[in-house]
This record gives sequence, C-alpha cells and structure tokens, in this order.
Amino acid sequence: MKQIERVFVLGLDCMTPQLVFERWIDDLPNFKRLMTEGVWGKMQSVTPAITVPAWMCMMTSKDPGRLGVYGFRNRKNYTYDEMMYANALVFKEPTVWDYLSRANKRSIVVGVPGTYPTKPINGELISCFMTPDTSVDFTYPKTLKQELIDHGINYILDTDEFRTNDKDRLLKELYQMTEERMKTVHYLLDTREWDFFMVVEMGPDRVHHGFWSYMEPDHPKYVKGNPYEHVIFDYYKTIDREMGKILARLDDRTLFMVVSDHGAKTMDGGICLNDWLIKEGYLTLKDTLKSPTNFKTGMVDWSKTKAWGSGGYYGRLFLNVKGREPEGVIPVQDYEKVRTELIQRIEEIPNHQGKPIGTKVFRPEDIYPVVNGIAPDLLIYFGDLDWRSVGTVGNPAIWTFENDTGPDDANHAQYGIFGALGPGVPKGRQLTDIHIMDVAPTILKALGRPIPGDMQGKQLRITN
Amino acid sequence: MEDIGFTVWFTGLSGSGKTTIAEKLQQILIKRGLKVELLDGDVVRQNLSKGLGFSKEDRDINIRRIGFVCNLLTRNWVVAIASAISPYKAIRNENRALIGNFVEVFVKCPLEVLAERDVKGLYKKAMAGELANFTGVSDPYEEPENPEVICETDKETPEESLHKILTKLEEMGYISAKRSDYSPEEEKKIEERLKALGYL
Repeated sequence: MKQIERVFVLGLDCMTPQLVFERWIDDLPNFKRLMTEGVWGKMQSVTPAITVPAWMCMMTSKDPGRLGVYGFRNRKNYTYDEMMYANALVFKEPTVWDYLSRANKRSIVVGVPGTYPTKPINGELISCFMTPDTSVDFTYPKTLKQELIDHGINYILDTDEFRTNDKDRLLKELYQMTEERMKTVHYLLDTREWDFFMVVEMGPDRVHHGFWSYMEPDHPKYVKGNPYEHVIFDYYKTIDREMGKILARLDDRTLFMVVSDHGAKTMDGGICLNDWLIKEGYLTLKDTLKSPTNFKTGMVDWSKTKAWGSGGYYGRLFLNVKGREPEGVIPVQDYEKVRTELIQRIEEIPNHQGKPIGTKVFRPEDIYPVVNGIAPDLLIYFGDLDWRSVGTVGNPAIWTFENDTGPDDANHAQYGIFGALGPGVPKGRQLTDIHIMDVAPTILKALGRPIPGDMQGKQLRITN
Repeated sequence: MEDIGFTVWFTGLSGSGKTTIAEKLQQILIKRGLKVELLDGDVVRQNLSKGLGFSKEDRDINIRRIGFVCNLLTRNWVVAIASAISPYKAIRNENRALIGNFVEVFVKCPLEVLAERDVKGLYKKAMAGELANFTGVSDPYEEPENPEVICETDKETPEESLHKILTKLEEMGYISAKRSDYSPEEEKKIEERLKALGYL
C-alpha cells in the first residue's frame, strides 16, 4: 500500500449532506465515488455553526471557547459598542499549515475563512472573503497577486451585493467566482510544489442563501415550476465536476478530503429578538419606534435594560450586569437567576401559529471547557436553526418573514459533509461520529506529524 | 503561534560568513524583543570546549556540547543561535532531533572563493600543509541535505542572507510578521458585506 505523501482538502462552505449524500447522489458521480471507493459521512460542526469561527475551529482543532471567537464580530470588552471583527489577527491558535510550515512542509491555502490579513507561511496563501477588496495585499507572497493577473486569473473574493432580487446577476457572479477560484487552484497545481493544499469555495453557501426557496418544496415561499428551481442542483453538479477535475490531477500518494463547515436547511422566518426582549420587559428603548429600524446601542435606556441581543443565523444575548457593563443593572448575585429565566422563556417562544419550535439556548460554559474572550451570555438557536435571529427593532410582530437585511431563504444546519479518498482509505465505509475538530489531527497524522496534545479533536481512522 | 524558543544553526566552511550573518540576526531578533544567545564556534572553543582539538571525535564533542546548550536555551523560550563549522551531518541531525525547533542555515561558499578571501589567513596555511585537520582542505565537510535556508555568500550580501533567514523564521511561525488590522474604511466595507450576507 502506498504511503501518503500529500493531502488535498476541498472545502465547500455550507455543502449540505442531505443534498449531497441523499437527494442528488446519483447525479453527483464524484461524490458517489466517496461512497464506493472511500469514506463519507455527516460531520458535526461547532456551536455556533457559522463560517467564522467554524473553518478556524476545523483548522486548529480548537472550539470557539478556546479560540475566544463566537462569530464574525465579538465584543472587545464589556462596553456596549466596542466590537472586533474576527479576522486573522484574532486567531492565535496554530493551524494545520502553521504546524506544517514549522516542519518545513509546503502548504497552499486558498480562501480559507479567517486568513486576512495574510501572514507568511511556508508556501502560498490567498486570503478569504473577509478581505476588504483585491486592491490590498491579499496573497502571500505579495507577488502572487500580480502573478495570477499576469496569467489571466481574475481572483474573486466573494459575490457582490448578495442581498439582491436580481437573481440572474447573482447567479452569474457566483459561477464567475467559482470559475476563477478553480482556475487559481489548477494554476497553483501546475506551478507549485506542495505537501498540503486546501481551498475553500464559498459558492455553496451563497447559492443556498440566495436560492433555497426556489428549490425546496417545504419552504414557505416555494412555487412549483419557478425558473430557478434547478439552480442549486445545477450548481452542485458544477461542484461535483470541479471535484472530479481536481481528483484527476492527484496521484496515488495523495489523500483527498472534501469537507464543509456546516450544512443548510430551510429558514422558516426570523425571530425579532430585541423586539421580544422589549415586549417581555428586558429591554427598554429611549423612544418608541413605529417601523423596523436597525438596532443601535445608543437607542437603549440602560437604566431599565437587563438584556439586549444581536441578529444573524443564530442569536446572541448579552446581559447588562452591574459592575461589568458601564450602566449595568443586574446585581451580580442575580446573574444566574436572570439567565435561567431567560433560557426558559426564550425556549418557550412559539411560532406565529402558537406552535413550539424547539429553540435551543446555550450557556457558553456548558458547551466549551474553556471560555476565552468575551462570549455572549447566551447563544440561541431559534427553532434549532429553523429560524434566524433578527436584531432590528420596531417590527410589527416578533416573527418576520422578510429578513431585515434582504432576501435570504436558508439557514445553517449543524451537520456538514466529510469524505475522503486515497491510499489506505477504506472503501465504501460510512463514518459516524465525525466532528469538525477531527480534521486537523487527521491531516497532521496523515503527513507523519505528531498530533499536538491540546488539539480537541481526534484522529479519524481512515488511513493506516 | 505563541512565542517559543528555537535554535538557528549556522553551518558552513571557515570564513563563509556564518559569524557575520549570525551577529546581524542576533541584533535584529533582540530589537524584536526576543531573548537571544549566540554560541559562536571560535568563542566556544575558548571556554566551553577549551582544550578540544580538531579530530573527528573532538569536533563531535564540541558540536554536541553546543547542541546541549542550545537545547537548554530553546526549551526555556530563548532563541539560541549557533555558528560553528559543524562539518558532520550525523551530529547536526542529532542536534536537530534533540532540540526540535531547529532551523538549519547552510552558509555556502565555494572553496576557491574562501581561499581567496582567507579572512583569517588559515586557508594559506592549510593549503601549505601547516594546518592539519582543516575543514574543506584536509578534513571533510558534509553539506546539509535539507537545510531550512541556504545563504550563498559569494552571490548575496549579508543583508540579503539575513532577509532570507528572517522570512523563513516568519514562515515557520517562529517570529511574527508585522500585519495591519482593518482601517476604519475597510472595517465599514467588511461590516456592510457581512450584513449583506446575513451574518450580522
């Protein structure tokens, strides 16, 4: 049996198992190969199942608590306003490519969320969609940016103006983005030596959020026979073909993995968290609002406020604690009582028809062994992610079916995908119990490197 | 990655430029706030290895002693810079295995250039047979097979060599590279993009 010499990881943001491994498997021949010639399965994401920090959790094998990152934007301190974006400067834990660089192994890293601003690695790095735009230095080495242009590659960081009703334009941009990213991958495969290659394609996430309601019969907005009904299916087939092209270029000493950071599911609607807090007496604004308005902390009467929240694919709730927040009102000894009460009441929020929706509320210390940075006081999966959290205030009801930031049809789901093919990989085995934090130790072991003792994931037994 | 200790091991023939580059590296790393110690072969032979000669056995003892000290420093979060001919691969590799965080710098220069430079007047004596066991002339030098850095000092300046080493140390995560956070305008762009993507 051949020894593994290299590892290639194809990352597909939000690629979802129920579509890949179930509904469309017979139309995705390269994904089907995983099921007959390799290993495959659903892979559990972290909580929260969000692009940032999920990809970094995968690449460091550390959970959000260890990383101190609970989403794209995190509290810098206990003031009401000071937030910091979770770019590469915030992630201090070493990644797979950091360990490999130290072992003098070459890595090529393309588009992995959490890699801007770039830093030197032993190899090449192209940063992610959290890069301001392509006018900045978004590659390491810096010269790679011009090299790509000189070879006819117009690298696209992300789709523009995602929140658009111009679906044709969105679709065109999505395909362009994927095409340029794949051109970049093949160019680097042509011209570079590497031991580890990882690319993350954001397209699946964008196509889900943009087109889910056109595809999914159980979506409240679905209309049978609509012109975009097959968009996601067609895009999945494109991804399958691209995966096939990459596989054709890899030799028999390369371990191939395909992964996603989380899955996708129908979004039933949004729960207006701050409006609910107002209604329940936990949050008081200085003025009454008559129409939906972006929430700003300057609107708040802190002397009468116990809690406020933020919107996104999952909800975050923050408590206004005396001695902690500048105008805190909750005495420290009542913190847990207020939190427990909120957990109960939030979990009881029904849908617009009065039916329970199965909301899950997490205390950070219950789900992370270590809580670094400033975590939200509560993390909320409304309807177990069937509903998103809406931060705007002044809505007519606590349920909304129009996203506060524009059209969006899908939410994230807790399980993404995992698959592997290559030397020593068992054939046709479905894996269970795969966690996103298992990927990094598995890569390091495959490349003959020791697994650091503080990695939280386990090595997957997929190679000898 | 967090600050940790590491060893930078310079190897190469006498007069190739090891000490010159090593001293520059030491200064730069001190300026970056690191604790750094330099173990130069000529200096070590005046104290730690005083009395040792240039037989293979004595050379091996000398290099092992330097490696031992580098390991102590490395594991106590100090940067150890070793600059010694260290002609035998096996002993260098022993030190690599012992220390772990080990960056080998091969300071390479053709013998004829070194003989012409003859900075210490030793090549003339060695070639005249007046110095026995002289590496490169009457004793072997085993070139490294996979050094982390190669500095070709007949082709590059000491500053260029230094830049190569610093780049490699940054790439390996032993020292941090300077990086800037978002400007306020860039932050606004990111905020709008994330809002548009539904993440905020």
